[in-house]
Amino acid sequence: MTKPITLGAVLYDPKVSVIWEIICDFFDQNGVPVDPVFFTNYERQVDTLIAGSIDVAWNSPLAWLDTQRRSSNEFRAVAMRDTDRDRTSCFVVRKGSGIERLADLRGKTVAMGAADSPQATLIPIEVLRRAGLAAGSDYQVQRFDVLVGKHGDHIGGERDAFQALAGGKAEASTMLDLNWQTWTADGTINADEFTVVASTGTFDHCVFALRRDFPQDVVERWTAALLSMSYDNPKHREMMDMEGLKAWVPGRTSGFELLTSAVEHQRFFGRTS
Amino acid sequence: MGIGSVDETRWTVRVTAVPQGGVRAHVRKFSFEAGAPLSFDVEHPAVTALEYLLGALGVDIASGIRHLARKRRVEVDDVEVVVHGRLGDPLRFLRAVGAEGDPALEWIEAKVYISSLEDERIVSSLWDEVLAVAPVVNTLRKATRLDLVYQQVL
Repeated sequence: MTKPITLGAVLYDPKVSVIWEIICDFFDQNGVPVDPVFFTNYERQVDTLIAGSIDVAWNSPLAWLDTQRRSSNEFRAVAMRDTDRDRTSCFVVRKGSGIERLADLRGKTVAMGAADSPQATLIPIEVLRRAGLAAGSDYQVQRFDVLVGKHGDHIGGERDAFQALAGGKAEASTMLDLNWQTWTADGTINADEFTVVASTGTFDHCVFALRRDFPQDVVERWTAALLSMSYDNPKHREMMDMEGLKAWVPGRTSGFELLTSAVEHQRFFGRTS
Repeated sequence: MGIGSVDETRWTVRVTAVPQGGVRAHVRKFSFEAGAPLSFDVEHPAVTALEYLLGALGVDIASGIRHLARKRRVEVDDVEVVVHGRLGDPLRFLRAVGAEGDPALEWIEAKVYISSLEDERIVSSLWDEVLAVAPVVNTLRKATRLDLVYQQVL
């Protein structure tokens, strides 16, 4: 029997395990057995990946940078979701607030997500820095640390941040573009009352991280199986809808410039807490 | 001479798990299918052990009320029990690395709706008497936080 590939994934909710069980069943059926290994946080997952105790990890963008930083670039990004590419984050304000550009946030309070959320905290702070605004002195950050360690995978932080804006406790909030789209569509956000005053540049999100010296033939079989998953196949579609993608695509590392700059300027990996 | 013995107060259920993944519990002349210990998948194909446990609590209460009402000649129409349960740390069950909490049910709540035109005091007395001797209720009370509330509906 072929030795199963061990795949690490962080669970921001127990229900996420169902998605990974379906993915692993899919690999089993395609002759590339995969055993999932679940983690409560990305730090433990990256530790385990670098130690070689798992073969591949579904990494958040921050976990990807951490993996490369701690391993001297020993890993490669082999695949990602189509929806992981070219994301943006939105600065949301109340219409009629007088805030029309990022510079207008000077002296204001901006509600953000968890401390380790790339899309709701780290990248927005970086974009404001580039606009000449320093957190803490030029504007105040009101953080919503929901499930720190899971890198903002849980939408709770962004939702709470928006609630702070809606409740008048902040003048702006940050969120991933996909969440803005979803929440204005489902009524969580009233688009007649709130608007996006600015968006960040594009960035990429999650990737499968795999050690460079992993056997190439296994990588090719595994990647070929993953990329063969089709949204037109009803059996695949259920999982793809749950995971929020229409297609798996080859991994790339060109979309992490904003986050790389953010963690450097915010000395994120040098923090003690 | 009594009609019972020590052995007669012990109940036995036999459970078999077959290689194909099916689990079946056998009790007296009945049997029932079961699934995983618990599942986070709403499409899981069988009732889980956790759901049977919560169901047993609901049956204990609903059936207990029905049985005692008949015995006390209290008119009760429908009884409905809605049971919720929450695990201490569901990620422990999933063996997630870093999960160190309690995999047990940390809280169970049963909301009971008793449809009856009887006086409130009579229904309240019935409720208290049922809970005092309900075997599943009193077992779970020793094991976890158990919140039981009832509402009389007309």
